[in-house]
Amino acid sequence: MPEVSTALDRPTPLPRRGLERLDLMLLCAEALDLNGGEAMVWMSEQLGYQSLFPNRVELWKRRCHNPLRRATRRGQLQVEDTDALIRILAAMAERLYPMLRQLLSAAEPESVSEQRWALFRGRLQELIEERLNLRRVGVRKLLDPLEGPQLCHQLILSLALSAGTGGVERLKASLLDPEP
Amino acid sequence: MIKLSHRYEQISCRLTVEGFPDVSTGQGPQAIGILTGWSLALAGHTELEGKRDHLEALLKVVAPYARHLISGAPRVFGDPDSPVAIHPDGPRHRLELRSSQPNTPPLTLHLDDAELADLVRCLDQLVLDARLQLNLQTPRPQPLRRSELRKRVPLGRRLAAPVCGMAALGLAGAFSWMVPTPKPGSFSPDQAKGTSSLVAPGKTAAPGKSTAPDKPVSPGKPVVPGQIGATGQATNRAGEEPAPGAQTQTNQGADTRPGPSQAPR
Repeated sequence: MPEVSTALDRPTPLPRRGLERLDLMLLCAEALDLNGGEAMVWMSEQLGYQSLFPNRVELWKRRCHNPLRRATRRGQLQVEDTDALIRILAAMAERLYPMLRQLLSAAEPESVSEQRWALFRGRLQELIEERLNLRRVGVRKLLDPLEGPQLCHQLILSLALSAGTGGVERLKASLLDPEP
Repeated sequence: MIKLSHRYEQISCRLTVEGFPDVSTGQGPQAIGILTGWSLALAGHTELEGKRDHLEALLKVVAPYARHLISGAPRVFGDPDSPVAIHPDGPRHRLELRSSQPNTPPLTLHLDDAELADLVRCLDQLVLDARLQLNLQTPRPQPLRRSELRKRVPLGRRLAAPVCGMAALGLAGAFSWMVPTPKPGSFSPDQAKGTSSLVAPGKTAAPGKSTAPDKPVSPGKPVVPGQIGATGQATNRAGEEPAPGAQTQTNQGADTRPGPSQAPR
């Protein structure tokens, strides 16, 4: 498929699902880090995105293009904005990698691992209830006691594999996946 | 010339590469252009060693596997002939390493998600290290195809919609066969009377709409134009005097019923 093979070479805007996943992963980073919102702004400055996101409101406005948000914004997000958000997420995942690894490790004692997952899921649930539209099926799946833990595990694994500079292209390629 | 060694470490993984700078291409003293060997130590597993071909095979398998895993669609990477293969194995990942020496069984390593993430990060560091000038052939991450993503939805859920659709279509078809179709044929004069009395005097029926009752016509006497006209005359005789338009419409409604019993005009 030639259009797929060159998808990363040309500036391609993220599809709807990609925007949803990107914002959900940023939300996961916030759930892992109590000061995640501030860390995101600081990371944006460190990566040199002051012109794109001069303040936290601008960052929040870009994230509100997620269709699952309670207060969603219409319109297409620019490629520069999504690229910047992807780089910020990869940098945050690298910073949080020890925590991600602890959650994913099978070598950890079962009870400790369960406590960590319960803490993470509790924080993520609070953030979801605060910011996302609870009537959407995708959001309800995240809060579902059966499907939710599996989706949370997938989000944490995706964060771990997209950590650092090497993870940026991998994450971007996955966010450009077509609708199944 | 001193042998150079670069090390890439994560919590459960340590990758070491050794080699020399390729002076013939003008590489600096800290660059590795000629790889003499590499070793991979995974915590709790046997240390692996290999040459450049094995490192390339490891990269070709692990990088796309991680790419698929990040999209939630893991699949097997590595041919049966290739020195390295990786399979999803429940919650773990099975890394198989086949020796080039004959009669040597393949080495199998079971990695959890954290160990795999460590390995992927080590390989990322190696690929991005500017000191390594090996021109390793690594596949660039690409968006997956729709068919590859379809596999992450369970087969039962994928088949549910088309199976339900086919079942609904079949049921609707069966019910439609059970409904009796009106027999082509006759129209009784009694029904013709009924239709003419449905139309109020002085009002015209909507054009094209038949005022005939919907119940199936019982086989009876064939209708001929003369009889219909006689019915209209009988109505006139009763003193109701329907409007000429209404009378015509009623007759038209009666005539619209197709059937072999209608007299040819």
